[in-house]
Amino acid sequence: MRALSRIDHYRGAGRLSLRAETRLMMTAVASISSLVLSDPQALALLLSFSALYAVAETKPKTLLIAYLFMAVMCSVALFCVWLLGFVFPIIRESSLSMAISPFLRLAVTMNAILPLALNSRLTDLAMALGRLHLPGLVRLPLMVTIRFIPTILNDMIQLREAVGIRFRGRKGFLFWLSHPFTWWRVFFQPLIVRLIRSADELAMAAELKGLEPNTEFGGSPLPFSTHDRATMLLAALAMVLSGLAQILVGAHAGR
Amino acid sequence: MTAKTLTWSSVWNGRGLFETRELVTIGLFSAAAKASSLMLALMGGGMNPLTMILKSAVQSALLVVLMAKVPKTGTLTLSNAIGMLLSFLLMGQHVMSLPVVLLGTILVELLALPFGGLARRAWLAIPMIAISELLVRVINVGVSYLGVREQPGLLVMVLMVSAFSYLGILLGLFGGLKMAKELKHAGLIQN
Repeated sequence: MRALSRIDHYRGAGRLSLRAETRLMMTAVASISSLVLSDPQALALLLSFSALYAVAETKPKTLLIAYLFMAVMCSVALFCVWLLGFVFPIIRESSLSMAISPFLRLAVTMNAILPLALNSRLTDLAMALGRLHLPGLVRLPLMVTIRFIPTILNDMIQLREAVGIRFRGRKGFLFWLSHPFTWWRVFFQPLIVRLIRSADELAMAAELKGLEPNTEFGGSPLPFSTHDRATMLLAALAMVLSGLAQILVGAHAGR
Repeated sequence: MTAKTLTWSSVWNGRGLFETRELVTIGLFSAAAKASSLMLALMGGGMNPLTMILKSAVQSALLVVLMAKVPKTGTLTLSNAIGMLLSFLLMGQHVMSLPVVLLGTILVELLALPFGGLARRAWLAIPMIAISELLVRVINVGVSYLGVREQPGLLVMVLMVSAFSYLGILLGLFGGLKMAKELKHAGLIQN
């Protein structure tokens, strides 16, 4: 576990080099605040603060691609709602300012998630969860899951190649869609057998090495940097101001 | 471990309820569920209804085999918790629904206890998974409603996705049951 505990000294990538705990907290704050708020002005204020955080932590090109993707997804959703409006006229009666609230919420959440997803390593996040007193019951399986996703993906690629050789000339997504039981038999069942064997071997290795559910993976926590404190202050300010906007503007508009 | 040594602290630290080998197995099956959903999303596109059904079928079949391999109270809750925590770490999903879903899954596991629990009656895994997955979807739709309450029409999309994925869960239960029987016959699992 020594090699793992060394990772604790790694500070997250990204321009502000924030700790994983700070990014996790930002995601939780953005999700909860955006769900509580309903007024478009209050949500727009929260969005501007979250955009500041996203711009400071994410590359502009990545942010632009994410916003373009979200715009396409929102356009498709709005088109579907417009079509549904013909079936359920009540949908067409909602005002435009209220109709944009779900999309503002989505943008706030996306701004908070991008730095977490793009700049944090999974091992770093798992250790942060350990430092946040996550029970040992969850910590060990979570570490195993994180460690073995790439290995199992590799196993699946090997199985897919083996199936490709067996069914040469008939592979392709459409073939497997029309033969789901064959797919189940030749791809999924060998995967399960392989998984059970791997689980037995790995469990034996873990027990022989004396690994227990309450084994500590994280080292001593680093102190919060100025960037971490500034980010938390920004989150608190955003919550207070958008909450005030919700109370004042929302009450004025009768929402 | 006897009931005398089973304290709140030992349970919190993971001792008493599960052995290391069982926790490793749960972790590995959660990794397989996540990897297979990633693989299927790459192959057929994430929002394709057939891919959604297939992803859920694989997920529930894996869960059936896992519950046959680790037939203990808490396996389902732990597996759900790991999956949701991983979704939170990877994509920031389930921040709001995680505590409610966990409480719901614990309730389903407690309801199974009067029937003898998983250790005595392995078939309980099927209704437990069916009910808990239904509960997960209902809670997710509820949380989604909070997010789109000003434009309820958007909820139709969420309902359709939930319906397709639940259909996949039900199909996967039968596939998982058949596979668990074959694995027992092959001596790879005991239950």
